[in-house]
Amino acid sequence: MSNVNNRANNSTKRYQNPELFEQLAIEYAAGSMQGRAKKRFETLMETHFYLRAVVDAYENKFATLVELLPDAKPSNQVWAGIESHIKASAPQEKKTSWWKTSFFKQGFGLAAMAIVVSAVLLLNPMTVTPTSYAAILESDSNVAMAMTKIKKSDMTLTVDIMKKVNVPDNMELTLWCHPKDGGIPMKMGTISESGKTNIKISKKEWQNMKDVGFLAISIEHINDNKIVKPSGKILLHGQLTTASLN
Amino acid sequence: MMEDIYAELLQKTATGDQLAFKKLYEETSPKLMSLCLRLMRTEALAEDVLQEGFIKVWEKADTFTPGKGRALTWMSTVIRNKGLDKLRSLKTKAAETEIQYEGLEFASADLQPDNMEDLSQDVKGLMACLDTLKPDQKECILLSYYYGHTHQELANKMGRPLGTIKAWIRRGLEDIRPCLT
Repeated sequence: MSNVNNRANNSTKRYQNPELFEQLAIEYAAGSMQGRAKKRFETLMETHFYLRAVVDAYENKFATLVELLPDAKPSNQVWAGIESHIKASAPQEKKTSWWKTSFFKQGFGLAAMAIVVSAVLLLNPMTVTPTSYAAILESDSNVAMAMTKIKKSDMTLTVDIMKKVNVPDNMELTLWCHPKDGGIPMKMGTISESGKTNIKISKKEWQNMKDVGFLAISIEHINDNKIVKPSGKILLHGQLTTASLN
Repeated sequence: MMEDIYAELLQKTATGDQLAFKKLYEETSPKLMSLCLRLMRTEALAEDVLQEGFIKVWEKADTFTPGKGRALTWMSTVIRNKGLDKLRSLKTKAAETEIQYEGLEFASADLQPDNMEDLSQDVKGLMACLDTLKPDQKECILLSYYYGHTHQELANKMGRPLGTIKAWIRRGLEDIRPCLT
């Protein structure tokens, strides 16, 4: 059993080597990874979000190849099939509501639900100055991964990563607050790969929160203090909303 | 360029706008059908994948983020992955093809200026990167992408040892990585 565990750990370690996973990601995206290696890589992508992010970036590059293809008109039956599916599903909600996402299935959603409900019930953004903000941060595959709260009462920003984010050696997670109107984001600090991270915020940072549109967690090289905006992949992101928190 | 229209149509689709979705289908399905035909090798399977792929586009349109890529690119990834899943479940063999798309003329370096005008900067950049490779390496990578050929199929098709094909692809992708980032 310990041999099996050791092999799994060694395999995971290998995929945390940026050189290696970049190469594997490009091979996957280009369609040249096959068989068991492909299945193994897909399993790893489920839990290693940086792998998914890198693959997505390369898939975007290669997907442009579709532009070179000559047109081939499909038969009318294809649209008929699509249309009948859409109409059959029309009585239901078209989009899966956010409260039906895996976030809630994982049991992480009640706190978020409470925040949003209380925000709706207790806050009128036209007349009340917010005392808290909150954001649910999702991965690219729309899986809710972290909860962020920013409270004026103790001037603290808390990030709670619900599911461990595996980070390669020599890299770390960094939290950013992006302004609604674009421009340079506020760099809030380094975030732990799992569990809670508390960051004290300044009065100025609190005041700036009203202009923040979304939060993002990127993967950055350790001790790269000079960066003023995300230079690595964005692993998690989510809209910031006003909230009422205790 | 039509790309902004696609992105707008896809965003409208995300709100449940069926007319926008139909327009999006009409505009993009010929290119995406072409991709499905190459990947699936039979017209029936290609149309199945196209239909299932567009249903997924309808259901997942709200996950498209314009800043992170273009609409057609996003859709082709969704549909290609659908095709690859289907191929894997059916274990379709190359020998079962009823449609032959042997060449890569459409991706040649001799594209006419008229055609070039319609291409995005992204694909021009990608082709410039691929053009830095040896012709055989570029061909392997493109055949692998468009047709989903396995290494063994490529070896058979190109009359080269399996190890050579694997090395060409691996080194080719390694070589273009800096160019792509």
